[in-house]
Amino acid sequence: MIVVRAPFRISFVGGGTDLPDFYHKHPGRVISATINQYIYIVINPTPMVSKVSARYVLSETVDHPNKLKHTRIKAALKELGIMSNIEIGSFASIPARTGLGSSSSFSVALMKALNLHKNNKKLSPGETAEAACRLEIDLLGEPIGKQDQYAAAHGGFNIFQFNPDESVDIKPVLLGYKANSLLEDHMLLFYTGITRSASKVLGKQRMSIKKKIKDYQEMTEMVPIFEKELLAGNMKNLAKLLHQGWLKKKSLSAGISNPLIDNLYQSSLKAGAWGGKILGAGAGGCLMLIAPTKKHKAIRAKMVALAKKNKLKDFQEIPVKFVQSGAEVLFNDNHTVL
Amino acid sequence: MKTYTTEFLDETNEVISGLNSEEIAKALKIIQATYERDGRIYIFGNGGSLALATHWVSDFNKTVFSQDLDRPIKRFQAVRVPSTEAELTAWANDIGYDMVFAGPLQNYLSDNDCVIAISSSGNSNNIIKAVELAKKRHIPVIGLSGFDGGKLAELADAKIVVKTKKGRYDLVEPAHAVVLHLMTKYFQDYFNHLATKISRK
Repeated sequence: MIVVRAPFRISFVGGGTDLPDFYHKHPGRVISATINQYIYIVINPTPMVSKVSARYVLSETVDHPNKLKHTRIKAALKELGIMSNIEIGSFASIPARTGLGSSSSFSVALMKALNLHKNNKKLSPGETAEAACRLEIDLLGEPIGKQDQYAAAHGGFNIFQFNPDESVDIKPVLLGYKANSLLEDHMLLFYTGITRSASKVLGKQRMSIKKKIKDYQEMTEMVPIFEKELLAGNMKNLAKLLHQGWLKKKSLSAGISNPLIDNLYQSSLKAGAWGGKILGAGAGGCLMLIAPTKKHKAIRAKMVALAKKNKLKDFQEIPVKFVQSGAEVLFNDNHTVL
Repeated sequence: MKTYTTEFLDETNEVISGLNSEEIAKALKIIQATYERDGRIYIFGNGGSLALATHWVSDFNKTVFSQDLDRPIKRFQAVRVPSTEAELTAWANDIGYDMVFAGPLQNYLSDNDCVIAISSSGNSNNIIKAVELAKKRHIPVIGLSGFDGGKLAELADAKIVVKTKKGRYDLVEPAHAVVLHLMTKYFQDYFNHLATKISRK
């Protein structure tokens, strides 16, 4: 049996510049960090049962990967030439489509686990990220970017630069425990209960990139400024940068925000938050805020009241801590691995 | 005698202030990630470096948490390799000195671990063999070396090099001790900080 886990991530600034329509012309840049919420992939080889099984929200058992409904597992198995005798399970601490990069974390963990199973090969973080990008973007044609795969594979606070030649430069932001703790103390993360498909939002956003090149460039320029403020522990300035980034992002495409999200965010500012953003592609998912700690109680109360009024029954606060570890093999009983 | 002492202290100060804080920070990140995934930290070296490794293990496993030893929180699992003299001499006598670290390490090493290798020259055969084993399995390596860094500095993920003239063990080893104490102190302060936060709540 093999168990691999990959963390989810919070993307601070630069999201969207990891789309090829932009980075093929100008280098894209994103700053993000992984959090202590994970997806786990379990691989169980079944030498006596030739079938292929996938266990997730659904439970499928089929004769050939082609018959699987789960498109990613299907494509990954075919890519690696695994046609039988396997059971794959996935478990996550947070539901999908929350804007925490969960679908790419899934692909990252899946590719790491399947490569270990099939080839006795432990992929490096870079290889893992590339394999997940290939699965999602090249094989499945999803209109998404590359930042989430790299964030989940590497772990920690990082700046990723996406170059026109498809190479990716990784710069770890080596944040000490004091600044890390300060950010955790000032941050609030709410799952809005509005789920969305990132691919749909991004698909629409990509059509207008050519007209908005300058805005995207400005977003990449905010990344090193964010890094500087992060290392210095200037929470108020970080919040202002998130706010500016969110306003900029909202202006890129009509589907990124909606009146309900705008209402939640504006109300949080009125209740004392310094700034924040919707995480991920937009249109739903999680709202992240940075606020003075003494205002947290009031902001929570306001958000809960608004959620109730708007019948967001899945709305809830997610407590998070940042983590340094990326996609990891937690268990592997195949001792011939080299 | 006084002049000699001053010159030596000046040289020591110079190598310590020349340490690369970015590489040390990378080492802290590796150790934290290992802790998060419940992995072990294996540390080894020859001669004085083995003594440093042994000293560090006792600090890291206990001193980091010494202000709060009653609290049932997850601790570090740092292990000096080999962990017994019997293993060391068994490998040395039966197989050869080249395998005294890689041999035992192969028994222990799991995917979620990390490795700290100490070698002033950065070229000790037995150290490099163990580091190559870790690298082959994509286990993160923190390398503490001296002189020009040697092969260890090429292979390690966190390359902590005390740059000196060849043969200046007297300058390299104390600088390694400083780095190892820094790593202990960082996590001691970190866990104290977390404990204070929890008790405030």
